Amino acid sequence: MDETVVIFERLSKAFIIKKNPVDSIKLKVMGLFDSRYREKKELFWALKNINLNVNKGEFLGLVGPNGSGKSTLLRMIAGIYCPTQGTVEIHGRVVPMIELGIGFHQDLNGRENIYLSTSLYGLSKKETDRIIDEIIDFSELGEFIEQPAKNYSLGMYMRLGFATAINLDPEILLIDEVLAVGDEYFQQKCLKKMNEIHRKGKTIILVSHDLKNIEKMCTRACLLYQGMIIAEGKADNIVKYYKEMVAHHQVGLNKMEK
Amino acid sequence: MFREWFRYRSLIKNLVYRDLKLKYRGSVLGILWSLLRPLLLMGVYLVAFKYVVRITMDNYVVFLFVGLLPWSFFQGAVLSATESITGNASLIKKINFPRETLPLASVLFHFIQLLLALSVFLPFLLLIGNIDLRWIHLGVFLLLFIHLLFTLGIALLLSALTVSFKDIVHLTDLGLTLLFWVTPIIYPINMVPEKYRFLVKMNPMAAFAIAYQEIMYRGNMPELMVCIIILIWTVSLFGLGYWVFKRFTPIFSELI
Repeated sequence: MDETVVIFERLSKAFIIKKNPVDSIKLKVMGLFDSRYREKKELFWALKNINLNVNKGEFLGLVGPNGSGKSTLLRMIAGIYCPTQGTVEIHGRVVPMIELGIGFHQDLNGRENIYLSTSLYGLSKKETDRIIDEIIDFSELGEFIEQPAKNYSLGMYMRLGFATAINLDPEILLIDEVLAVGDEYFQQKCLKKMNEIHRKGKTIILVSHDLKNIEKMCTRACLLYQGMIIAEGKADNIVKYYKEMVAHHQVGLNKMEK
Repeated sequence: MFREWFRYRSLIKNLVYRDLKLKYRGSVLGILWSLLRPLLLMGVYLVAFKYVVRITMDNYVVFLFVGLLPWSFFQGAVLSATESITGNASLIKKINFPRETLPLASVLFHFIQLLLALSVFLPFLLLIGNIDLRWIHLGVFLLLFIHLLFTLGIALLLSALTVSFKDIVHLTDLGLTLLFWVTPIIYPINMVPEKYRFLVKMNPMAAFAIAYQEIMYRGNMPELMVCIIILIWTVSLFGLGYWVFKRFTPIFSELI
């Protein structure tokens, strides 16, 4: 159980914020002669000096206020962003659930959308053939699976998206606040499925503002604030800590920074 | 590179399949549109250049078709591939997959339509032109493949550059329109004044058009110079395109 599957070492991520974006060739050329037309670039450090190890079989929760870097951290693991400084090491197949229904097209039917979506995750047609019944079952779409996605309700769309990603047999599952939309019944079903995957010894990293779920499900949690991990430990302790911080408003947070 | 494309072959297939399906689903004429477009375009050019401008050539229809179909593929593929990265921002920001699959799928989508049009029209052209099939005509498959690689190189290059320079889309559109008229597609290369002929041939699109015409219209092996021009352009553009694309790939998700 001690195998480490995600290793962040002194990782920092900066995004370039352009004050006056110059994305046309004309302005670029003018910038050569006149500094007024030159880009003013500013760095925004979304993650600062992150050191984090995630072991196989952990259910890690990431909490923190909006803009604290939770989603960026998740995208670093998914390989969508590259580190500016430091390194990220991943061992195992990552399935990111940053949005439900990746690659779905309104005019394709449920079945076609499943095939398109799973192939984005790198599955071949044969591999999808093997799991498609499971996906359709889990989505509970019934007859609607033959309908184009534009005829789905938001809930149905979400169900199909979740069912597709969750059945890909991930070794490392990343979930970014995707449960907020479903109804109570489907949420419970998703949580149950996540627990099942966790019991199989897979790693799950969950970003959520639903602190109750984090407390209930996660084995460990990290609290992010302004791009830094300012606390980590057992999920219930972190949640308690976070709640206290919020209650004390910014005062507590400023102290933390020093 | 090709190994990764192979691993993601079902993604490439699904993307092409999606575009084909979406293009024809719900339209009455369906797949016929892919044939109707070149046919009507051809008809207009035929009237304009055979009866108005009066280009005198044997089997002008065949000549026109042989240059026009590959050009339509090239134009369509380059135009749609140029926006294949910027147009799929929602995918690129949310999941990691080989980004080359997007321009590749755009090019293949148009290539399939070219093959479809060729397989329908070629028998008619052979009939109209009274052309006997000879071994040399098989050379067209090799030429098609090289043309595909060439187009893919340009597609990789432009789709990556468009992420940083939005003007590329407009430049490409305009560039293709201008290129069409300096490429010997509606007129034969020997109508170009001799002193400019060499210059015209250096244009890779012209070299491809001449090669298609030589093989399919005249039934000859293209001259060595044309072959060399084609190979040099294809190798260097594919190399450049691939290199630029790889260099820019890490920042796609941040810029779009």
